[in-house]
Amino acid sequence: MSKPFLQIRGIRKEYGPVTAVHDVNLDVAQGEFLTFLGPSGSGKSTTLYILAGFEDPTRGDIVLNGQSLLSTPSHKRNIGMVFQRYTLFPHLSVGENIAFPLKVRRLPKAEIDAKVRDMLKLVRLEGFEDRKPAQMSGGQQQRVALARALAYDPPLLLMDEPLSALDKKLREEIQHEIRRIHQQTEVTILYVTHDQEEALRLSDRIAVFSKGVIDQIGTGPELYANPATRFVAEFIGDSDFLPCDLVTAANGRADIALAGTTVIPNVPLHGKPVVGGKAALMLRPERLRLTRSAPGGSTAVPVTVSDITFLGNNIHVATQTAKGDALAVRLPFGHEAISSLNRGDRVWLGFDPASAHVFC
Amino acid sequence: MLSRTDAKAAGSKIPAGRLTLTDFDLTLPALGLLVLFFVVPVAILLARSVSEPVPGFGNYAELLGSSTYLRIFANTFLVSGLVTFVSLLIGFPVAWALAVMPSRFASVVFAILLLSMWTNLLARTYAWMVLLQRTGVINKVLIGLGLIDKPLPLVNNLTGVTIGMTYIMLPFIILPLYGVIRKIDPAILQAAALCGANRWQSLVRVLLPLAMPGMAAGALMVFVMSLGYFVTPALLGGTANMMLAELIAQFVQSLVNWGMGGAAALVLLVVTLALYAVQLRFFGTDRMGGR
Repeated sequence: MSKPFLQIRGIRKEYGPVTAVHDVNLDVAQGEFLTFLGPSGSGKSTTLYILAGFEDPTRGDIVLNGQSLLSTPSHKRNIGMVFQRYTLFPHLSVGENIAFPLKVRRLPKAEIDAKVRDMLKLVRLEGFEDRKPAQMSGGQQQRVALARALAYDPPLLLMDEPLSALDKKLREEIQHEIRRIHQQTEVTILYVTHDQEEALRLSDRIAVFSKGVIDQIGTGPELYANPATRFVAEFIGDSDFLPCDLVTAANGRADIALAGTTVIPNVPLHGKPVVGGKAALMLRPERLRLTRSAPGGSTAVPVTVSDITFLGNNIHVATQTAKGDALAVRLPFGHEAISSLNRGDRVWLGFDPASAHVFC
Repeated sequence: MLSRTDAKAAGSKIPAGRLTLTDFDLTLPALGLLVLFFVVPVAILLARSVSEPVPGFGNYAELLGSSTYLRIFANTFLVSGLVTFVSLLIGFPVAWALAVMPSRFASVVFAILLLSMWTNLLARTYAWMVLLQRTGVINKVLIGLGLIDKPLPLVNNLTGVTIGMTYIMLPFIILPLYGVIRKIDPAILQAAALCGANRWQSLVRVLLPLAMPGMAAGALMVFVMSLGYFVTPALLGGTANMMLAELIAQFVQSLVNWGMGGAAALVLLVVTLALYAVQLRFFGTDRMGGR
């Protein structure tokens, strides 16, 4: 890739004394599906609104195809967008809604009609063109909104939590649709969500937003296996944190001391280490091994079982360390360690130090 | 009436006697009042219009057959139409501004609007007379600025009536329009912008159609109110453009011709009811007042 398709360069947005976005930098490749993932107030939507032209950044620049977008008003940016709320024009039929961007571009009628048909086919709503938005379900309305946003072949499609108003089953159905449409049209998509599962399911890459900065950008597996910050570790996948002491730290690895165990060597380290200082050891429930007795030759933490929950294909065991810190483990259904396990049992949770992480 | 609901309420703990919209009983006092003070006088007037000076429809024939009276009808419609049009033209931007401006500014504008509505009608009309007359502030300022040489005829003519009545009618168009515009999701206009619509296209293709129910309700209300307006046309209008209400007043007060006065009043009432029927037919009662 010689030159990135879309560059977000040092975008900053201040509202009076509050800084919503702190100098965000991001390159997006053509045809990429990139998700802004973060809790509400993390600056992800503001960044998207700056791209749409609804907000002006305090400073920074947005470059699309080598040209700055900032001086271009929204209606000339030629960007598609699907909103969180239903924004179909209620007085127009489905067909007229999809035709709207083409009509304001003064395309010939035959071309508009052909495009509307293509778009209805793309979102699988053939035969719905004469319906009014109010006669359609939320999911159908968002599919029409998607068709409207893609009707003018925008190089970039913005999606601001488009599925948050839908129930879980419908959401998954439309996630599949969005994936299919992305593959079919090869449009570049910037997608905003606070739902990690949605982000993992849809995206090529995920930018995790926290407090106005991007904590980490990477593919789902990268973020899961190698979270750069404690926030990312908490946001992607499940995790528990045990307080520990830093013994030594070098080259991104640390030896740590956990209460009740010996020194654990060679754990991947993130953050600014202070030798002798406090740190947090992150352990994922699905990476822990439960044994009745101390496993010989591997690292393990002694714990007391506090609760056992059946979750269908796996079983969630909540435990507590001697110091009272919570540590969960997830075992597949039918695991031999489960059969005689009871609340109050003392067990050991073993892990591979290389798969754990220490955050300072 | 009361005993029935009491009995129901006593029979179960569920409020079975709770009021419903179909409880006709409750409207009886108001209905009685309406019959006594509105239906009966109108009926008497109707009776006099077909019995004085001689029984028959002579009054109606004269009213609808004379070019003098027809000109007054035409003028009434002209003034009402003009006032409605100008009110819409001014009212729409104001309602839009009210809907999008920060609420603390909006509440100031609302206060001004309501204050003007609560001020005595005569006082407001005389104020316009002072402003618009030959030696009034407006003419003096325009002459002072060198824009005109001699005072413009702003009062005792169509201009004066239109200005004065538009001022009085504006709140009746702004309030329902505000209600409708407030309910339009700003995201819909953002979507229109990203679809490529410039401000003008967004206004014509999205905002105006969505505001149409409020505009129609407000416009019809203003038009109907203007048709029967008396005070402002009488004070700010000229003899050349008399309105229907003035004609009725003249029949009854100066000419003591109850027959003709009653006939003119009935014509006005029929036109008003017809327009109200149009409003109900197309917009329904629930759209009244922009709801």
